[in-house]
Amino acid sequence: MTRQPPKWITAACWHNCGGRCLNKVLVVDGKVVRQKTDDTHPDSPLFPQQRGCLRGRSQRQQVLGEDRLKHPMVRKHWLPGGGDKELRGRDEWVRLSWDEALDIVAGEIQRVKRQYGNQSILAWDYASLYYSQKMTGGWGGGSEISQVLSLYGGHTNAWGSTSWGTWRDTGKKIGLGIANGTNDRLDLQNCQLVVMWGANPAWSSPGSATYHYLQAKRAGSRFIFIDPFYTDSAQVLANEWIPIRPGTDHALALALAHTLITEDDPATNPLIDWDFLNRCTIGYDVMHLPEGADKRHNFKDYILGSYDRQPKSPEWAAKICGVEPDKIRWLAREIATTAKVALITSFAPARINNADSWPQAFMALGCLTGHIGQSGRMTGISSHRNAANSGPALVVAGDDGVEFVPNPLAHSTINQNELWDAVLTGRYTAGRGDTKEIDIQMIYHACHSYLNQKSGIVKGIDAHRKVEFVVAQNYVLNPSAQYADIVLPVTTQWEREGRLFNGNREMLLFPDKVMEPYCEARDDIWIAKELARRLGIDVAQVEPVCGPQQLFNQLAGTKVINKDGDGYEPLVTISPGDIAAMGVTGKPQTGRITLGEFKETGIYQVSRSPGDPFSYIHLKEFREDPAAHPLDTPSGKLEIHCQAIAELVRNCGWTEIDPIPKYTKPCEGYEDTFSGWETGTKGEYPLQFYSIHVLSRAHSCLDNVAWLREAFPHELLMNPADAASRGISTGENVLVRSRHGAVRRPVRLTERMMPGVVALGQGAWVAWDDEAGVDQAGSVNVLIGAIPTGQGHGGYNSCNVQVLKE
Amino acid sequence: MAQMGFFYDMTACIGCKTCQIACKDKNDLAPGLLLRRVIGFEGGKFPQPWVYYLSLSCNHCSSPLCVSACPTGALYKEAQLGAVLIDQNKCSGCRKCQQSCPYGHIQYNESTGKVAKCDMCRDLIVAGEQPACAGSCVMRALDFGPLDELEKRCKETRPLKNLPNSGLTGPSIVITPKPEALRAP
Repeated sequence: MTRQPPKWITAACWHNCGGRCLNKVLVVDGKVVRQKTDDTHPDSPLFPQQRGCLRGRSQRQQVLGEDRLKHPMVRKHWLPGGGDKELRGRDEWVRLSWDEALDIVAGEIQRVKRQYGNQSILAWDYASLYYSQKMTGGWGGGSEISQVLSLYGGHTNAWGSTSWGTWRDTGKKIGLGIANGTNDRLDLQNCQLVVMWGANPAWSSPGSATYHYLQAKRAGSRFIFIDPFYTDSAQVLANEWIPIRPGTDHALALALAHTLITEDDPATNPLIDWDFLNRCTIGYDVMHLPEGADKRHNFKDYILGSYDRQPKSPEWAAKICGVEPDKIRWLAREIATTAKVALITSFAPARINNADSWPQAFMALGCLTGHIGQSGRMTGISSHRNAANSGPALVVAGDDGVEFVPNPLAHSTINQNELWDAVLTGRYTAGRGDTKEIDIQMIYHACHSYLNQKSGIVKGIDAHRKVEFVVAQNYVLNPSAQYADIVLPVTTQWEREGRLFNGNREMLLFPDKVMEPYCEARDDIWIAKELARRLGIDVAQVEPVCGPQQLFNQLAGTKVINKDGDGYEPLVTISPGDIAAMGVTGKPQTGRITLGEFKETGIYQVSRSPGDPFSYIHLKEFREDPAAHPLDTPSGKLEIHCQAIAELVRNCGWTEIDPIPKYTKPCEGYEDTFSGWETGTKGEYPLQFYSIHVLSRAHSCLDNVAWLREAFPHELLMNPADAASRGISTGENVLVRSRHGAVRRPVRLTERMMPGVVALGQGAWVAWDDEAGVDQAGSVNVLIGAIPTGQGHGGYNSCNVQVLKE
Repeated sequence: MAQMGFFYDMTACIGCKTCQIACKDKNDLAPGLLLRRVIGFEGGKFPQPWVYYLSLSCNHCSSPLCVSACPTGALYKEAQLGAVLIDQNKCSGCRKCQQSCPYGHIQYNESTGKVAKCDMCRDLIVAGEQPACAGSCVMRALDFGPLDELEKRCKETRPLKNLPNSGLTGPSIVITPKPEALRAP
């Protein structure tokens, strides 16, 4: 037997963690024996190795874990129509052949369509949900089933911002932008002060983000962290930690504005950048309102309380947010009198019910202080792939050439916060004053972890036990699969041909196939084609471009910024031999590196150096000349008065907001912990609960990996003062109960968590105990209710709980 | 020989445990066995808590107590890198080394009936690579190299909480501490 020499292969780390890094595996005699990370070039702050985090380094535990799904399965007590549907989630499993399983799935799709219509089939159009996997350089499929169903007449979908909170619609409408909110990482070193408002990159944006912030600190930047928890980011970076109650950031922002507006004197105490405010924004005062606007809807009069008789003073805000008035004034003066400030936030403070105006209040602070659009000055989101390093991508994957088939039932889409109710009651809100009927009888989970990762899990389980058929395809028995009738085992990215993956703006990853499919696992696209055959759909329409051709298209179209930074050029040199070896159609081309080199290295990364042409200042051209570089808003400016977002929210049909960022009490925010706000009497759910991204998971992925559970036990974070009054000691099991469900967890007492607030890491797989009526695993979405507000976003950080000793 | 050692900048460590996991992967360790551990220490009172982490593996001491304690000669300090290693063929599983290590590093492996310890990823170093842990650190808080080079990067000599005095065994590690980690004078 000839033995293959040991070989390092670039292995996909495909997770939606906010980073994406280079991981390689050593394959010896066909077996993956260990991993390593980026060692493709010497490491330096300017040209950092793209080092994987503990999750990436655990991947072979995940891909080769004993709990990988090996065979198609049906639950023992399933029958066409559902059988004993109450046993979903707790039934036994029976192995099927692929043909048996696919025949059942296709048969049920046909039956449900015939009996109830296509609208009765709930699936998820992953591409439209996430603005196209194509733009992100490959999330590993996800839309294959949606495509099949779209070709078969369509399916019902769900909508609503998940990670981005209210930035998705508000950020866009007010002109600040959604995700590209800071300057590039080298410019960050020019900041004198960095305010990290609800941002914890050490846990939420791995990859190099926290390392970049550390460079800024070493270059002299001061850091202020505003957060309910003294995070690990704060522990390394913070000069000051300002504890704040979850969901009260809006009140603090208004009070900061109040300090600036009341204390500013252009001659003796300049705090406000009047030039920026006048030239680049609308809505500050009556002189800067759009045509036809209600004159009372100006920011200044609202802050001063001219009409509602309530000045949004630090005293007013302190009662809500828990930050002392003196500290609020100090913070406002600090931000306003420092020349170069980064006002940075993440999406967490926007994942609050009714928080549609929060991004606008945050932006207003940047507008007043003028910390926008210059070197060392920025206001906006620094998160996920753009964390600590915004700007256009310096290396961009080419388009894979796949055109998505539109869903004929694209209009049949239910907001995430009403989805389970819609299944259970047959009704949903289709817009303002518009209720529609729907009869969901089939749920098809492909690619995601919807049941666990959307709020209202208890209703979600009821919904799964109501419909006639549930099918899930996955590589492991996550909650979506656990509650299915049929489970189809799929391959991971390690078992597929290569595909380009993006990470941060400076690099592109080229993972390769590591191993053959695990046991009987098949690719999602194979399943889609098999279903298509059985449904009488032209298979060529399901896979219009084959895998190798998709990869070739990506490679051929990959562009890298040229040396002068004023255009892009092809990255990959492709020879006729390359084209023949891949078995695809295409033309040879010249680029910077050969296809072979790219594949061997597994990554292409652009190096940075001071003064290079790859920097980015967010809104620089706009600030210099708003007329020549208008923003995509009706006024062309940043809109502190924004009619468009008020209309959007109104049209969704649940709540209303004003065009200026008025404070709105969030449903299940701090105020709702009281039964009597005026008297200060606490209610039945006296503690605030929020859900935090943790390092041991990428959302719900990797929850099943033992090494990660060992490193980060899943514990409720609680302040000792709250525990003492309940007779709770650290390490004890407690019951956490909300208006929507209950979970059991051991508690970890820590002075790092502010009193009145508790938190759990998000992503633990629900282990619903039907007898006890409690989740034993601590899945946050058992506690968090699916409450539709504003733009229909997920309010994952707005929840009230009680914690009880067991 | 050039004694090799670890450099740990506590001020840059976010406690992510990537080094711990990288070690587990390199050494194929089951849950329960940690040849590199990241431990967090907290104190203070809200709103001024403090936190620091320690990432520790074997310190490959100049005067290793484990080597002296071992009755079979299984534990030894090799000459090329100064690594303290175990010859598993000679280990009797008596655990005297585990009892003697003032850093609590040595682990007992129930399934083999023998002890386990960090071997400095000697096979990787000999092949020109970094130890798995040092090359993995996302904050570049953990590093590895000749001890005398590492000692030039940090002149701190004050003793740290939760660690024995370095005079006891002469650990080959340089730690840049946070103020909270220093022992009270």
